[in-house]
Amino acid sequence: MEAARRLQIDLIVASEQPSTFEQARPEGLITLDFGRIDWSVQRARRVAASYPFQATLGLDDDTVVLATAIENALGRGRNPLEAVVAARDKHLQRTRLAGGRVQVPRYGVHTIGEHVDAVAASMSYPCVVKPVRLSASRGVIRADNPTQLLEAIIRVGAILKSTDDAGECADATLEYLVEEFVPGYEVALEGLLVGGELHVLALFDKPDPLDGPFFEESIYVTPSRHPVSEQTALIECARQAAAALGLREGPIHAELRFNEQGAWLIELAARPIGGRCSAVLRFGDGTISLEEIVLRHALGMSLPSLERERNAAAVMMIPVPGAGVLEEFTGVDDAKRVPGVEDVVITAHRGETLVPWPEGSRYPGFIFARGETPEAVEHAVREAHRRLHFVLRPASP
Amino acid sequence: MASDIRITAEPVDAQRCKFLVDRPVYQGVRRFADRGEAAGSPLAEALFALPGVQELIVSGNLITVVKESPEAWQVAGKAVGAAIRQALSTDAPPIADRPPATGAARVSDDELYERVSDLFEQQVNPMVARHGGRVELIDVQESIVMLRMSGGCQGCGMASVTLRQGIEGMLNQYLPEVKGIVDITDHTSGTNPYFASAKK
Repeated sequence: MEAARRLQIDLIVASEQPSTFEQARPEGLITLDFGRIDWSVQRARRVAASYPFQATLGLDDDTVVLATAIENALGRGRNPLEAVVAARDKHLQRTRLAGGRVQVPRYGVHTIGEHVDAVAASMSYPCVVKPVRLSASRGVIRADNPTQLLEAIIRVGAILKSTDDAGECADATLEYLVEEFVPGYEVALEGLLVGGELHVLALFDKPDPLDGPFFEESIYVTPSRHPVSEQTALIECARQAAAALGLREGPIHAELRFNEQGAWLIELAARPIGGRCSAVLRFGDGTISLEEIVLRHALGMSLPSLERERNAAAVMMIPVPGAGVLEEFTGVDDAKRVPGVEDVVITAHRGETLVPWPEGSRYPGFIFARGETPEAVEHAVREAHRRLHFVLRPASP
Repeated sequence: MASDIRITAEPVDAQRCKFLVDRPVYQGVRRFADRGEAAGSPLAEALFALPGVQELIVSGNLITVVKESPEAWQVAGKAVGAAIRQALSTDAPPIADRPPATGAARVSDDELYERVSDLFEQQVNPMVARHGGRVELIDVQESIVMLRMSGGCQGCGMASVTLRQGIEGMLNQYLPEVKGIVDITDHTSGTNPYFASAKK
């Protein structure tokens, strides 16, 4: 919203639950059902007839699919819908990428309820269980042997059934992948596709190893400290993946790994990094946000410099301190005083129930740092985190 | 001691940031539209001495700073925090009472206050009440509306949508003489937000 204000762009904000102002402000607020694409496209068409809009932007995995469907229905789609759907569905994505000769883990797709002994017997270890439709590493579990795999599948089944009850997996998506675990370091790539050409906006190192058993994110640091040759291979892997999926325009966020076998594409999403973490990125003279670039591109406005600012930057997604109800947090001011730390944002509220991974998917807050070197900003966010204290009480059963 | 003063910064956008101080700063609400109005208020003088500061609103223990410089709040905020601590560490009242306004301007703000208050009570609050929220009109100064959210709106992940797409839109529609709105809510203290904040 801030980027739109800066660009003096009027917004129509769509949400899944109605805004209390929707009836009073129909030109600025609408309700859509993100799980019912056809219905929502028809609704958007009617809105466009009364209040014409120039572009539709989705900012998370589900809304990107809907936004693409709306744009295509209005005759101005810039990505094929099937490409965005494939990016949303981990099974479809693996299939397309493997067909496009992008290096991805060997995988099999299964459904909760299948005979799990057969699944366990067919796998090599270590492997990773991964729900097809959940995001933010929710339900992703590593297994080093058949017993762990069986336990992981039972646990993932419970997570999927709980989300299905909530309507998150509208079409009974009880599917999960079991894929080989890819050792090596992991990076995240933030990019913008313009006419099929990938512009790399940032390559983030993830200095905390993501070896499981769960895969909660932690620290992102940019610029990358990995050898240039390996960065080049990682970028090329992301470029090939976007092409294999058929994506041509808009932001992408990719998770990749690198080991002695080269670059591996773990996941690619046709959306930008999350709205909180995106604050770590600034472009040009340091005043241009990622959201401004994405908005400008969607509207066909001239693009400013896509060169990230000179400083190193880091964001820590604060690890969930445990399971329970957040009673109190302290140390925020102390954490903000760490040299290089620019902000500490606690997004969890007192009284909120915190749920660790793999069942959870929400971080309690974020720490941002900027400085001369990647080492300095990584140290800053770690030191700031050390100064934070969370007090939890057990959640009611 | 200045170092004992605890301040929490909550950026609203690139121009505005709220600073929540752990002690009362000013009884009531006072807005400083420019450096000239800061004379006699040590805190306002100190903040206007910082590069790029354009406007201040002080309400209870909340200080909203508006700046024009491109510097991120994560950087600019440290200088603001230091200035606040310095100004509050002396015995002098940090903010002086507002001088009597000229008749025409004062009446205009008062009239506008009444109109905004009516709009809030008759239209805005019945709407946000559906999500357990409430919007309180704090003051109108020089046609700028200052408000505070509570209940389901305080800390809500959609609070900025409510503010900009809902409340600001209604003010634009019904009271075009309103020049802007400032949300002085401490959203970090919300304990029952209607929508959770973003995951990442």
